[in-house]
Amino acid sequence: MLRNVCYLAFRSLWWYRGRTAVIILCLAVTLGMPLSVRLLVGRFQEEIRRRAASTPLIIGARGSRIDLVLHGLYFASVTADFVTMGEADYVTQSGLATAIPLHVKFRTQSVGRSPGAPIVGTTLEYFDFRGLTVARGGTLSRLGDCLLGSAFAESSGLQPGDFLLSAPKNAFNLAGDYPLRMRVVGILAPSHSPDDEAVFTDIRTAWIIEGIGHGHQELSEESTEQLLDSDGTPGTLTANASVLPYTEITDENVASFHFHGDEADFPVSAFIAVPADRRSQTLLLGRYASVRRDAAVCVKPLEVVEELLAMVFRVEQVFRAAAVVSGSVTGLLFALIVFLNIQLRAPEMDTMQRIGSARGVTGMLVATETGIMLFLAAFLAVAAAAVISVLGEAWLKQWLF
Amino acid sequence: MYELHSVTHVYARRGHHVTALDQCSLEIHPGDFVAIVGPSGSGKTTLLSVLGGMLAPSSGRVLFDGRSLYDLNVEQRASLRGEKIGFVFQSFDLISWLSARENVQVPLMLAGRSSEYQCRRAIELLKRVGLADWSGHRPSEMSRGQQQRVALARTLANEPQVILADEPTGNLDTETRQLVMACLKEFHQDGRTIVMVTHDEVAAAFAGRRIRLASGVLQELSLRNAA
Repeated sequence: MLRNVCYLAFRSLWWYRGRTAVIILCLAVTLGMPLSVRLLVGRFQEEIRRRAASTPLIIGARGSRIDLVLHGLYFASVTADFVTMGEADYVTQSGLATAIPLHVKFRTQSVGRSPGAPIVGTTLEYFDFRGLTVARGGTLSRLGDCLLGSAFAESSGLQPGDFLLSAPKNAFNLAGDYPLRMRVVGILAPSHSPDDEAVFTDIRTAWIIEGIGHGHQELSEESTEQLLDSDGTPGTLTANASVLPYTEITDENVASFHFHGDEADFPVSAFIAVPADRRSQTLLLGRYASVRRDAAVCVKPLEVVEELLAMVFRVEQVFRAAAVVSGSVTGLLFALIVFLNIQLRAPEMDTMQRIGSARGVTGMLVATETGIMLFLAAFLAVAAAAVISVLGEAWLKQWLF
Repeated sequence: MYELHSVTHVYARRGHHVTALDQCSLEIHPGDFVAIVGPSGSGKTTLLSVLGGMLAPSSGRVLFDGRSLYDLNVEQRASLRGEKIGFVFQSFDLISWLSARENVQVPLMLAGRSSEYQCRRAIELLKRVGLADWSGHRPSEMSRGQQQRVALARTLANEPQVILADEPTGNLDTETRQLVMACLKEFHQDGRTIVMVTHDEVAAAFAGRRIRLASGVLQELSLRNAA
């Protein structure tokens, strides 16, 4: 009997397919929206917690703790103030923790489908700390080398051996520093983290982009005559307009690159401190709460992330309340549609009863039709929510950070 | 087959009472072909609904095969209709979203028959009413006469003992009317009892018994062999 009722229900729904589709769509949106938000927020919370939990301490300039943590974890939002490399040295020399500097100020130029990626200047300890391995090519060995995160490599289409330009600091300052043409030496294995979206260089390469370090081009030794204008006066050489519009570090000129000043004064946007043990962590936090208070701030990313998530949760609560209201309205409208549908099809039901259908069977038919619509709507909602939670996660992170 | 004892039915609407059936007593025997005639509003359809177990009378008894029809509960009456009573309506009442074959299958579906049996039986019945080639068509794609023949085929699906027909030739042209009546006559010749409500004198002429219903009161007009 149930099979026959299902058959009749399907035939009826197919006959009124326009109306059925609209009802299913409305129900799917009503069910899918809160579900998508819950899944999306859930995935986001899980991901951000995991990243935060894997990072013991972040030290940076005083200011917004949330900005500092998001900067340290996601290379997001350039910090207003930088600390110095000396601060990282202080932490390392204290013996309480290993300091991994981060210099995140510049982005690459857009390449392929990628709009560009943050250039993360750091040390090799960062790769060990995050468990990042090189999937193709080699590792950083010379100034001007860079390693690509797997997602950026895929979207940019760059391979080891290719070159990548940093974006100019200020596009309107024609007299400003040239972009650095970096050599792609390797591509990192996917880590399903923000590292996949970044470009890594040695911190000194980042300082060169910043303009702290530079090389000198010996035009007198330049063999390319196109680069030179000579008026024949001995000892007078003038570079012409065909000089390359970027800086490039090559095996030939790498020796000429140098830094002025004390490295301890060079800027670091934040650094990750990896304490030796729990006691060291407590001591370090204590120091930055007292004697080093004016120099920098030390935060536990997980604590800050929990504060951030509490805010997200409050916003989600508001959204959830709105979803309950709109869901109730849709539920009432759906009940009205079912009621009107029964009234509209009263002659049909009456015929069925006359030809031997018990009231229970006609009721079962209406219930089956309703059930099928609800099932399809729920299926669509779950499928859409799953797709949105996967695709929307990256969008949400991009939008938030 | 049917025994009606002093059946009265009164419709009460907004304090206004209308007596549709007034102390009607009637016996219908197996194999009878009864035409109930009368003007509009005389209670013909009410009587048919009472006979079909669809409308409990205000008073009186209705016996079907010796059993009091309205002592059965709603589900039992529905089951009885499905097994022993077939309905033919003036408006055909085919289900618009089903094909001719599926419409004929509906009573079999409701009786929980297997889909193979449903298909076989539906095709067989459509052949019988001359619509084998129209089995896949929807009611909206068929003429009124064809629709009524599909309705007749549907009526026969569960091999009912009695067929209750409400104005089966209403709104049909002469040729189609003859065709429909020929079908009913054939069903009667198979041994079925036919109770037909009509104000069509030509249709009524096919019946062996003619009963007039006026202002809710029954009056036997003639008793003869069915045409």
